[in-house]
Amino acid sequence: MAMHIAQQLKGKQARREAWYPWAGGSYMAPVTDRANMRNNDELVGWMRAVATRADRQAFAALFKHFAPRIKGYLVGSGSAGPLAEELTQETMVALWRKAASFDPQRAGLSTWIFTIARNLRIDHQRHAALGAGNDRPNDWDADQQPADARAAPEDMVLLAQRAQGIQRALRELPDEQCRVLRMSYFEDQTHTDIARELGLPLGTVKSRIRLAVTQLRQLLDGIDS
Amino acid sequence: MNIQHHPSDDLLVALAAGRLESGQALLVTVHLDGCSDCRAQLHTLQALGGVLLDEVTPHSLAAESLNRTLARISAIPVRTAPESAAAPLAHRQSVRPELPSGVDWPASFNGCQVSRWHWMGPGMRWSRVQLGHAARGNLFLLRIAPGCNLPRHTHSDLELTQVLCGSFNDGRAFFGPGDFDAADSSVHHQPIVQADRECVCLAYVGGPLRFDSRVAGLIGGWIGL
Repeated sequence: MAMHIAQQLKGKQARREAWYPWAGGSYMAPVTDRANMRNNDELVGWMRAVATRADRQAFAALFKHFAPRIKGYLVGSGSAGPLAEELTQETMVALWRKAASFDPQRAGLSTWIFTIARNLRIDHQRHAALGAGNDRPNDWDADQQPADARAAPEDMVLLAQRAQGIQRALRELPDEQCRVLRMSYFEDQTHTDIARELGLPLGTVKSRIRLAVTQLRQLLDGIDS
Repeated sequence: MNIQHHPSDDLLVALAAGRLESGQALLVTVHLDGCSDCRAQLHTLQALGGVLLDEVTPHSLAAESLNRTLARISAIPVRTAPESAAAPLAHRQSVRPELPSGVDWPASFNGCQVSRWHWMGPGMRWSRVQLGHAARGNLFLLRIAPGCNLPRHTHSDLELTQVLCGSFNDGRAFFGPGDFDAADSSVHHQPIVQADRECVCLAYVGGPLRFDSRVAGLIGGWIGL
């Protein structure tokens, strides 16, 4: 797996020979990882049931697992309670409608669902900015672009398994870097807002994010090697 | 393509998190169209979003949340064919100006409005790029004849450049097809197009450009930079 991940990584950084003691090969997987793996198989099985049999019980099980997390993400991203609830339900409806297109070989289920929720949040913000009744579906959208929306065949190697490596790497990352990554994804903040909140210059926030990603990548290299 | 210059990780994080303003997102996705290294990197960062979703603190749902969602699902017309994952935009490109022979429009331009070429000086033409919705910053294409140079300038804000064809040297580095550049107010440069080939770049400017010469400043003001 390390080989596959290494292939996915940006060549310039992958070639960099930095060595971090906490990214060594002696990493022990926490016991919970096995539970998570089994759990993921179960979730993917429910997705298949929704896709092939329109199975409402399987959908209910997925709902129970994901809906509170989606809402947690949306509330954290600044959506007020009722809006977060609405977008959570929309995300789950989208999961139902698009279930057949979910391919566990190509993306982790959580990543797939995160992307749906993220896009609905962006659409809502844009719609709100334009004003009601001003929906313009023909506009350019970053999430509709090939690179963002679909993995090319050469990029598809073990995408789903990558999530497990990232999960472990994240635990090894220094708190300060973890925090800035979390803020980037899960708070309704641009990098400029984050800089203001942390009382840091924008350049420092950007370089901290870059450092966090570089270390994450090196940890991914270290794990499984 | 032998790509030497890539978007920095903070831009890819912002794109993966859905927090990059759309003008900048266009530049980055056009880069991704041609750069498999950065695509792989983006997919890792999207997977990070999924992992963070798994770890988010769940939020309590509204009463009857599941039943309401199931009711919405029941209201969906019966599907005849499964919906595809991320249906790429229908190829509804508007009329676009011609590019030098052998150069194709990157796929991520789908959904953009691109104006005809306007003259802006000897050997220099530009075209306005619009995304349909109100986007911050200015997006435009520059088409510069071999051996020509842009007026020496600096920026009040961020300037992003993605090379579609040809190449230039701005005194800091050489930029060829597929290369991406980010310059802020600390950069004072004069891009000079290499003699062998016409150069077309997609550019984003967050704030006004500041040209050194008064005439160039007038041109800049006229085209809305």
